[in-house]
Amino acid sequence: MAMSRDQIFGEVQEVLVNALGVDDDEVTAESTLMGDLGAESIDFLDIVFRLEKTFEMKIPREELFPAESLMNSSEFVSNGKLTATGLAELKNKMPYIELGAFEKDPDINKLGDLFTVNTIVSYVDSKLNAA
Amino acid sequence: MRWIWIDKFVEFKSGERAVAVKNVTLAEEHLHDHFPGFPVMPETLCIEAMAQTSGILVGEARNFQEKVILAKIKKAVFYDYVKPGDTIKLTAKIDSIAPEAASTSGKITLGEKLIAEIDLMFSHIDQNLAGRKFPKENFVFTDMFKSLLQGVFVDNAGSGTPKSEQT
Amino acid sequence: MRFILIDKIVSLQSGMEIKAVKNVSLAEEYLADHFPTFPVLPGVLLLEGLIESASWLVREAENFAHSMILLSEARNVKYKSFLAPGGRIEYTVEARTIEENVSSFIGFGVSDDERIVEAKFALRHFNLADENPSMAAVDAKVIENMKKRWNILSSG
Repeated sequence: MAMSRDQIFGEVQEVLVNALGVDDDEVTAESTLMGDLGAESIDFLDIVFRLEKTFEMKIPREELFPAESLMNSSEFVSNGKLTATGLAELKNKMPYIELGAFEKDPDINKLGDLFTVNTIVSYVDSKLNAA
Repeated sequence: MRWIWIDKFVEFKSGERAVAVKNVTLAEEHLHDHFPGFPVMPETLCIEAMAQTSGILVGEARNFQEKVILAKIKKAVFYDYVKPGDTIKLTAKIDSIAPEAASTSGKITLGEKLIAEIDLMFSHIDQNLAGRKFPKENFVFTDMFKSLLQGVFVDNAGSGTPKSEQT
Repeated sequence: MRFILIDKIVSLQSGMEIKAVKNVSLAEEYLADHFPTFPVLPGVLLLEGLIESASWLVREAENFAHSMILLSEARNVKYKSFLAPGGRIEYTVEARTIEENVSSFIGFGVSDDERIVEAKFALRHFNLADENPSMAAVDAKVIENMKKRWNILSSG
Protein backbone atom coordinates (compact mmCIF):
# COMPACT_ATOMS: atom_id res chain seq x y z
CA MET A 1 0.00 0.00 0.00
CA ALA A 2 1.56 3.27 -1.13
CA MET A 3 1.40 6.04 1.40
CA SER A 4 2.99 9.47 1.44
CA ARG A 5 5.20 10.38 4.37
CA ASP A 6 2.57 12.88 5.51
CA GLN A 7 -0.12 10.23 5.51
CA ILE A 8 2.15 7.93 7.48
CA PHE A 9 2.82 10.70 9.98
CA GLY A 10 -0.92 11.25 10.44
CA GLU A 11 -1.51 7.58 11.24
CA VAL A 12 1.51 7.35 13.51
CA GLN A 13 0.37 10.46 15.35
CA GLU A 14 -3.03 8.86 15.98
CA VAL A 15 -1.40 5.66 17.25
CA LEU A 16 0.77 7.61 19.70
CA VAL A 17 -2.12 9.77 20.91
CA ASN A 18 -4.07 6.61 21.77
CA ALA A 19 -1.21 4.53 23.11
CA LEU A 20 0.29 7.26 25.28
CA GLY A 21 -2.74 9.33 26.20
CA VAL A 22 -1.16 12.54 24.93
CA ASP A 23 -2.75 15.30 22.85
CA ASP A 24 -2.41 15.67 19.07
CA ASP A 25 -0.34 18.80 19.36
CA GLU A 26 2.19 17.13 21.67
CA VAL A 27 3.09 14.65 18.94
CA THR A 28 5.43 16.50 16.56
CA ALA A 29 7.95 14.90 14.22
CA GLU A 30 10.79 15.73 16.59
CA SER A 31 9.11 14.66 19.83
CA THR A 32 11.16 12.01 21.61
CA LEU A 33 9.14 8.97 22.58
CA MET A 34 10.60 8.55 26.03
CA GLY A 35 11.53 12.08 27.02
CA ASP A 36 8.71 14.15 25.51
CA LEU A 37 5.91 11.62 25.29
CA GLY A 38 6.60 9.49 28.38
CA ALA A 39 6.71 6.12 26.60
CA GLU A 40 8.12 3.13 28.44
CA SER A 41 8.61 -0.57 27.93
CA ILE A 42 4.95 -1.63 27.95
CA ASP A 43 4.04 1.35 25.74
CA PHE A 44 6.59 0.28 23.11
CA LEU A 45 4.77 -3.03 22.85
CA ASP A 46 1.39 -1.28 22.71
CA ILE A 47 2.73 0.99 19.95
CA VAL A 48 4.11 -1.95 17.95
CA PHE A 49 0.78 -3.82 18.12
CA ARG A 50 -1.18 -0.75 17.05
CA LEU A 51 1.24 0.02 14.19
CA GLU A 52 0.94 -3.57 13.00
CA LYS A 53 -2.82 -3.25 12.80
CA THR A 54 -2.81 0.23 11.27
CA PHE A 55 -0.27 -0.51 8.56
CA GLU A 56 -1.08 -4.21 8.13
CA MET A 57 2.52 -5.30 8.57
CA LYS A 58 4.48 -7.47 10.95
CA ILE A 59 6.88 -5.46 13.10
CA PRO A 60 9.42 -7.43 15.11
CA ARG A 61 9.76 -5.29 18.22
CA GLU A 62 13.53 -5.70 18.05
CA GLU A 63 13.56 -4.00 14.67
CA LEU A 64 11.75 -0.87 15.73
CA PHE A 65 13.03 -0.63 19.30
CA PRO A 66 16.42 -2.35 19.50
CA ALA A 67 17.50 -0.20 22.43
CA GLU A 68 16.71 -2.71 25.13
CA SER A 69 18.81 -5.55 23.79
CA LEU A 70 21.61 -3.10 22.97
CA MET A 71 21.59 -1.68 26.46
CA ASN A 72 21.66 -5.07 28.17
CA SER A 73 24.69 -6.46 26.38
CA SER A 74 28.27 -5.91 27.60
CA GLU A 75 29.47 -6.34 24.02
CA PHE A 76 27.70 -3.16 23.03
CA VAL A 77 27.95 -1.05 26.15
CA SER A 78 30.99 -0.12 28.19
CA ASN A 79 31.28 2.56 30.88
CA GLY A 80 27.85 3.93 30.09
CA LYS A 81 28.61 4.43 26.42
CA LEU A 82 27.99 2.37 23.32
CA THR A 83 31.17 0.67 22.07
CA ALA A 84 32.20 0.83 18.42
CA THR A 85 30.53 -2.57 18.01
CA GLY A 86 27.45 -1.20 19.72
CA LEU A 87 27.31 1.82 17.41
CA ALA A 88 27.73 -0.41 14.37
CA GLU A 89 24.95 -2.67 15.62
CA LEU A 90 22.67 0.34 16.14
CA LYS A 91 23.33 1.63 12.61
CA ASN A 92 22.78 -1.86 11.26
CA LYS A 93 19.44 -2.29 13.00
CA MET A 94 18.17 1.19 12.30
CA PRO A 95 19.65 2.40 8.99
CA TYR A 96 17.13 5.22 8.76
CA ILE A 97 18.02 6.80 12.08
CA GLU A 98 19.95 10.06 12.22
CA LEU A 99 22.70 9.72 14.78
CA GLY A 100 24.09 13.25 14.64
CA ALA A 101 25.87 14.27 17.83
CA PHE A 102 25.16 10.93 19.46
CA GLU A 103 27.87 9.32 17.36
CA LYS A 104 30.55 11.44 19.06
CA ASP A 105 29.19 10.90 22.56
CA PRO A 106 27.23 7.65 22.56
CA ASP A 107 26.09 7.99 26.16
CA ILE A 108 23.47 5.29 26.70
CA ASN A 109 21.39 7.62 28.79
CA LYS A 110 20.95 9.65 25.63
CA LEU A 111 19.97 6.65 23.52
CA GLY A 112 16.33 7.31 24.31
CA ASP A 113 16.55 10.78 22.74
CA LEU A 114 17.22 9.19 19.35
CA PHE A 115 13.79 7.65 19.26
CA THR A 116 11.56 10.34 17.89
CA VAL A 117 8.24 10.24 16.12
CA ASN A 118 10.26 10.70 12.93
CA THR A 119 12.11 7.47 13.69
CA ILE A 120 8.83 5.58 13.60
CA VAL A 121 7.63 7.38 10.48
CA SER A 122 10.91 6.60 8.69
CA TYR A 123 10.74 2.97 9.75
CA VAL A 124 7.17 2.53 8.50
CA ASP A 125 8.01 4.39 5.31
CA SER A 126 11.00 2.16 4.62
CA LYS A 127 9.00 -1.00 5.25
CA LEU A 128 5.98 0.05 3.23
CA ASN A 129 8.06 1.07 0.27
CA ALA A 130 10.51 -1.85 0.37
CA ALA A 131 10.64 -3.83 -2.87
CA MET B 1 -12.62 -13.86 50.11
CA ARG B 2 -11.02 -15.42 47.03
CA TRP B 3 -9.42 -13.32 44.36
CA ILE B 4 -11.45 -14.83 41.58
CA TRP B 5 -13.84 -12.62 39.70
CA ILE B 6 -15.39 -14.92 37.14
CA ASP B 7 -17.54 -17.98 37.80
CA LYS B 8 -17.34 -20.03 34.65
CA PHE B 9 -16.49 -19.98 30.98
CA VAL B 10 -19.36 -20.49 28.56
CA GLU B 11 -17.28 -20.29 25.41
CA PHE B 12 -13.57 -20.73 24.78
CA LYS B 13 -11.90 -20.55 21.41
CA SER B 14 -8.20 -21.10 21.98
CA GLY B 15 -6.01 -18.18 20.93
CA GLU B 16 -9.01 -16.14 19.89
CA ARG B 17 -11.98 -15.48 22.12
CA ALA B 18 -13.49 -16.42 25.44
CA VAL B 19 -16.77 -15.69 27.16
CA ALA B 20 -17.19 -15.98 30.91
CA VAL B 21 -19.98 -15.14 33.33
CA LYS B 22 -20.03 -13.74 36.83
CA ASN B 23 -22.89 -13.76 39.30
CA VAL B 24 -23.05 -10.78 41.61
CA THR B 25 -24.39 -11.69 45.05
CA LEU B 26 -24.93 -10.00 48.40
CA ALA B 27 -22.85 -12.83 49.83
CA GLU B 28 -19.82 -10.89 48.53
CA GLU B 29 -18.57 -8.85 51.46
CA HIS B 30 -17.01 -5.99 49.52
CA LEU B 31 -20.40 -4.94 48.18
CA HIS B 32 -21.36 -3.81 51.64
CA ASP B 33 -18.62 -1.18 51.56
CA HIS B 34 -19.35 -0.03 48.02
CA PHE B 35 -21.52 1.56 48.96
CA PRO B 36 -22.99 1.11 52.45
CA GLY B 37 -26.72 1.50 51.80
CA PHE B 38 -26.63 0.79 48.04
CA PRO B 39 -24.33 -2.00 46.88
CA VAL B 40 -22.90 -1.91 43.35
CA MET B 41 -20.06 -3.97 41.90
CA PRO B 42 -16.96 -1.76 41.96
CA GLU B 43 -15.80 -0.86 38.46
CA THR B 44 -12.27 -1.90 39.32
CA LEU B 45 -13.50 -5.41 40.09
CA CYS B 46 -15.32 -5.44 36.73
CA ILE B 47 -11.94 -4.63 35.20
CA GLU B 48 -10.38 -7.48 37.17
CA ALA B 49 -13.08 -9.87 35.96
CA MET B 50 -12.24 -8.89 32.39
CA ALA B 51 -8.51 -9.18 33.17
CA GLN B 52 -9.03 -12.72 34.42
CA THR B 53 -11.14 -13.68 31.41
CA SER B 54 -8.60 -12.19 28.98
CA GLY B 55 -5.58 -13.31 30.99
CA ILE B 56 -6.65 -16.94 30.96
CA LEU B 57 -7.33 -16.68 27.22
CA VAL B 58 -3.81 -15.31 26.67
CA GLY B 59 -2.22 -17.81 29.06
CA GLU B 60 -3.95 -20.78 27.51
CA ALA B 61 -2.82 -19.64 24.03
CA ARG B 62 0.72 -20.35 25.16
CA ASN B 63 -0.15 -23.40 27.25
CA PHE B 64 0.23 -21.58 30.54
CA GLN B 65 3.99 -21.48 30.11
CA GLU B 66 4.11 -17.73 30.68
CA LYS B 67 3.38 -15.75 33.81
CA VAL B 68 0.80 -13.39 32.31
CA ILE B 69 0.16 -10.25 34.31
CA LEU B 70 -1.80 -7.09 33.72
CA ALA B 71 0.60 -4.35 32.62
CA LYS B 72 -1.62 -1.63 31.23
CA ILE B 73 -5.31 -0.77 31.08
CA LYS B 74 -5.51 0.85 27.64
CA LYS B 75 -9.08 1.89 28.21
CA ALA B 76 -11.98 1.00 30.48
CA VAL B 77 -15.25 2.80 29.79
CA PHE B 78 -18.39 2.20 31.85
CA TYR B 79 -21.91 2.89 30.68
CA ASP B 80 -23.91 1.57 33.60
CA TYR B 81 -23.49 -0.15 36.95
CA VAL B 82 -24.07 -3.72 38.15
CA LYS B 83 -26.08 -4.79 41.21
CA PRO B 84 -26.48 -7.91 43.39
CA GLY B 85 -28.68 -10.41 41.57
CA ASP B 86 -27.19 -9.47 38.20
CA THR B 87 -25.23 -11.93 36.04
CA ILE B 88 -22.71 -10.24 33.80
CA LYS B 89 -21.14 -11.72 30.70
CA LEU B 90 -17.51 -10.97 29.85
CA THR B 91 -16.46 -11.40 26.23
CA ALA B 92 -12.75 -11.10 25.50
CA LYS B 93 -10.70 -11.45 22.36
CA ILE B 94 -6.99 -11.44 21.66
CA ASP B 95 -6.03 -8.58 19.34
CA SER B 96 -2.28 -9.22 19.25
CA ILE B 97 0.06 -11.68 20.87
CA ALA B 98 3.85 -11.82 20.92
CA PRO B 99 6.41 -13.63 23.07
CA GLU B 100 6.66 -10.70 25.50
CA ALA B 101 3.10 -9.40 25.62
CA ALA B 102 -0.50 -9.56 24.46
CA SER B 103 -3.24 -7.05 23.77
CA THR B 104 -6.94 -7.83 24.30
CA SER B 105 -10.26 -6.09 23.91
CA GLY B 106 -13.51 -6.95 25.61
CA LYS B 107 -17.05 -6.07 26.54
CA ILE B 108 -19.12 -6.63 29.65
CA THR B 109 -22.84 -7.03 29.09
CA LEU B 110 -25.87 -7.46 31.28
CA GLY B 111 -28.49 -9.09 29.11
CA GLU B 112 -28.74 -6.79 26.11
CA LYS B 113 -27.19 -3.85 27.92
CA LEU B 114 -23.57 -2.85 27.37
CA ILE B 115 -21.99 -2.22 30.75
CA ALA B 116 -18.35 -1.65 29.80
CA GLU B 117 -15.66 -1.79 27.15
CA ILE B 118 -12.27 -2.80 28.45
CA ASP B 119 -9.02 -3.04 26.47
CA LEU B 120 -5.95 -4.43 28.23
CA MET B 121 -2.28 -5.22 27.78
CA PHE B 122 -0.59 -8.16 29.45
CA SER B 123 3.09 -8.68 29.98
CA HIS B 124 4.74 -12.10 29.99
CA ILE B 125 7.00 -11.22 32.84
CA ASP B 126 9.73 -13.80 32.47
CA GLN B 127 10.33 -12.51 28.94
CA ASN B 128 10.14 -8.92 29.92
CA LEU B 129 11.53 -7.87 33.23
CA ALA B 130 15.21 -8.52 32.66
CA GLY B 131 17.15 -8.77 35.88
CA ARG B 132 14.09 -9.24 38.07
CA LYS B 133 13.88 -12.65 39.64
CA PHE B 134 10.53 -14.36 40.01
CA PRO B 135 9.69 -17.69 41.65
CA LYS B 136 10.15 -20.37 39.05
CA GLU B 137 6.74 -21.94 39.15
CA ASN B 138 3.83 -20.26 37.40
CA PHE B 139 2.21 -18.56 40.37
CA VAL B 140 -0.29 -16.80 38.11
CA PHE B 141 -2.12 -19.79 36.70
CA THR B 142 -2.89 -21.75 39.82
CA ASP B 143 -5.28 -24.68 40.04
CA MET B 144 -7.98 -22.22 41.03
CA PHE B 145 -7.86 -20.71 37.54
CA LYS B 146 -7.08 -23.83 35.57
CA SER B 147 -10.07 -25.56 37.11
CA LEU B 148 -12.31 -22.97 35.44
CA LEU B 149 -11.35 -24.56 32.13
CA GLN B 150 -12.31 -28.05 33.21
CA GLY B 151 -15.22 -29.29 31.19
CA VAL B 152 -15.16 -26.28 28.86
CA PHE B 153 -15.02 -27.06 25.18
CA VAL B 154 -11.57 -25.61 24.44
CA ASP B 155 -11.75 -25.14 20.72
CA ASN B 156 -8.53 -25.02 18.69
CA ALA B 157 -9.14 -22.00 16.51
CA GLY B 158 -9.53 -22.93 12.86
CA SER B 159 -9.09 -26.66 13.19
CA GLY B 160 -12.54 -27.46 14.54
CA THR B 161 -11.00 -30.20 16.64
CA PRO B 162 -11.64 -30.00 20.36
CA LYS B 163 -8.59 -30.03 22.64
CA SER B 164 -8.77 -32.75 25.26
CA GLU B 165 -10.15 -31.51 28.58
CA GLN B 166 -7.67 -29.50 30.63
CA THR B 167 -6.83 -30.86 34.04
CA MET C 1 -12.45 -8.27 53.93
CA ARG C 2 -13.31 -4.59 53.73
CA PHE C 3 -13.34 -2.84 50.40
CA ILE C 4 -11.54 0.39 51.34
CA LEU C 5 -8.31 0.89 49.45
CA ILE C 6 -6.85 3.90 51.23
CA ASP C 7 -6.04 4.21 54.94
CA LYS C 8 -5.55 7.90 55.54
CA ILE C 9 -5.87 11.19 53.73
CA VAL C 10 -2.57 13.00 54.14
CA SER C 11 -3.33 16.31 52.49
CA LEU C 12 -6.12 17.96 50.57
CA GLN C 13 -6.33 21.20 48.62
CA SER C 14 -10.00 21.66 48.09
CA GLY C 15 -11.09 20.95 44.54
CA MET C 16 -7.49 20.60 43.43
CA GLU C 17 -5.30 17.87 44.83
CA ILE C 18 -5.39 15.08 47.37
CA LYS C 19 -2.74 12.78 48.80
CA ALA C 20 -3.61 9.56 50.58
CA VAL C 21 -1.67 6.55 51.82
CA LYS C 22 -2.32 2.84 51.97
CA ASN C 23 -0.46 0.22 53.96
CA VAL C 24 -0.21 -3.25 52.45
CA SER C 25 -0.40 -6.14 54.86
CA LEU C 26 -0.41 -9.93 54.56
CA ALA C 27 -3.60 -9.71 56.59
CA GLU C 28 -5.34 -8.71 53.34
CA GLU C 29 -6.93 -11.98 52.24
CA TYR C 30 -6.70 -11.64 48.47
CA LEU C 31 -2.91 -11.60 48.69
CA ALA C 32 -3.02 -15.34 49.30
CA ASP C 33 -4.34 -15.74 45.75
CA HIS C 34 -2.41 -12.87 44.17
CA PHE C 35 -0.11 -14.51 43.97
CA PRO C 36 0.80 -17.60 45.94
CA THR C 37 4.59 -17.34 46.63
CA PHE C 38 4.60 -13.79 45.22
CA PRO C 39 2.05 -11.63 47.04
CA VAL C 40 1.54 -8.18 45.49
CA LEU C 41 -1.33 -5.73 45.58
CA PRO C 42 -3.52 -6.38 42.52
CA GLY C 43 -3.26 -3.69 39.85
CA VAL C 44 -6.97 -2.93 39.90
CA LEU C 45 -6.77 -2.21 43.63
CA LEU C 46 -4.00 0.29 42.98
CA LEU C 47 -6.41 1.97 40.56
CA GLU C 48 -9.13 1.72 43.19
CA GLY C 49 -6.87 3.62 45.61
CA LEU C 50 -6.56 6.42 43.05
CA ILE C 51 -10.31 6.39 42.41
CA GLU C 52 -11.14 6.53 46.12
CA SER C 53 -8.71 9.40 46.62
CA ALA C 54 -10.33 11.30 43.75
CA SER C 55 -13.80 10.51 45.08
CA TRP C 56 -12.99 12.16 48.40
CA LEU C 57 -11.74 15.21 46.56
CA VAL C 58 -15.13 15.38 44.84
CA ARG C 59 -17.17 14.68 47.97
CA GLU C 60 -15.36 17.37 49.93
CA ALA C 61 -15.56 19.89 47.08
CA GLU C 62 -19.29 19.36 46.55
CA ASN C 63 -20.04 19.07 50.26
CA PHE C 64 -21.32 15.50 49.97
CA ALA C 65 -24.05 16.49 47.54
CA HIS C 66 -24.10 13.11 45.77
CA SER C 67 -24.33 9.55 47.08
CA MET C 68 -22.98 7.75 44.04
CA ILE C 69 -19.49 8.44 42.72
CA LEU C 70 -18.46 5.88 40.12
CA LEU C 71 -15.67 5.40 37.63
CA SER C 72 -16.85 6.40 34.16
CA GLU C 73 -13.58 5.85 32.38
CA ALA C 74 -9.90 5.06 32.91
CA ARG C 75 -7.21 5.37 30.25
CA ASN C 76 -3.51 4.57 29.98
CA VAL C 77 -3.35 3.03 33.43
CA LYS C 78 0.21 1.75 33.69
CA TYR C 79 1.65 -0.60 36.25
CA LYS C 80 5.31 0.09 36.62
CA SER C 81 6.34 -1.92 39.62
CA PHE C 82 5.03 -4.24 42.31
CA LEU C 83 3.82 -3.36 45.81
CA ALA C 84 4.40 -6.08 48.39
CA PRO C 85 3.18 -6.61 51.96
CA GLY C 86 5.04 -4.43 54.43
CA GLY C 87 5.04 -1.69 51.81
CA ARG C 88 3.16 1.57 51.82
CA ILE C 89 2.00 3.62 48.88
CA GLU C 90 1.21 7.31 48.68
CA TYR C 91 -1.33 8.32 46.05
CA THR C 92 -1.36 11.81 44.57
CA VAL C 93 -4.40 12.79 42.55
CA GLU C 94 -4.83 16.13 40.78
CA ALA C 95 -8.19 17.25 39.54
CA ARG C 96 -8.31 18.50 35.98
CA THR C 97 -11.96 19.46 36.20
CA ILE C 98 -14.68 18.98 38.79
CA GLU C 99 -18.16 19.82 37.53
CA GLU C 100 -21.54 19.02 38.99
CA ASN C 101 -21.88 15.49 37.65
CA VAL C 102 -18.51 14.72 36.09
CA SER C 103 -14.87 15.16 36.97
CA SER C 104 -11.50 14.16 35.56
CA PHE C 105 -8.16 13.42 37.15
CA ILE C 106 -4.59 12.43 36.71
CA GLY C 107 -3.00 10.39 39.47
CA PHE C 108 -0.01 8.30 40.45
CA GLY C 109 1.19 6.19 43.34
CA VAL C 110 4.69 6.07 44.79
CA SER C 111 6.24 3.63 47.23
CA ASP C 112 9.82 3.89 48.49
CA ASP C 113 10.63 6.52 45.85
CA GLU C 114 9.48 4.19 43.12
CA ARG C 115 6.48 4.92 40.93
CA ILE C 116 4.07 2.00 41.10
CA VAL C 117 1.04 3.15 39.12
CA GLU C 118 -0.19 6.08 37.07
CA ALA C 119 -3.56 6.74 35.50
CA LYS C 120 -5.87 9.20 33.83
CA PHE C 121 -9.49 8.75 34.75
CA ALA C 122 -12.91 10.34 35.00
CA LEU C 123 -15.71 9.93 37.52
CA ARG C 124 -19.44 10.54 37.43
CA HIS C 125 -21.45 11.65 40.43
CA PHE C 126 -25.21 11.53 40.93
CA ASN C 127 -28.02 10.72 43.29
CA LEU C 128 -30.30 7.72 42.79
CA ALA C 129 -33.20 10.13 43.34
CA ASP C 130 -32.25 11.90 40.07
CA GLU C 131 -33.85 8.99 38.21
CA ASN C 132 -36.19 7.80 40.93
CA PRO C 133 -37.37 10.23 43.60
CA SER C 134 -38.37 7.43 45.95
CA MET C 135 -34.67 6.64 46.38
CA ALA C 136 -33.92 9.88 48.23
CA ALA C 137 -33.76 8.10 51.59
CA VAL C 138 -31.23 5.62 50.20
CA ASP C 139 -29.08 8.51 48.94
CA ALA C 140 -29.24 10.08 52.39
CA LYS C 141 -28.15 6.83 54.03
CA VAL C 142 -25.18 6.37 51.69
CA ILE C 143 -24.09 9.97 52.21
CA GLU C 144 -24.35 9.62 55.97
CA ASN C 145 -22.19 6.49 55.87
CA MET C 146 -19.62 8.12 53.62
CA LYS C 147 -19.40 11.10 55.97
CA LYS C 148 -18.54 8.68 58.80
CA ARG C 149 -15.84 7.12 56.67
CA TRP C 150 -14.53 10.59 55.82
CA ASN C 151 -14.15 11.30 59.53
CA ILE C 152 -12.03 8.20 60.01
CA LEU C 153 -9.87 8.83 56.95
CA SER C 154 -9.27 12.49 57.55
CA SER C 155 -8.81 12.50 61.31
CA GLY C 156 -5.38 13.36 62.76
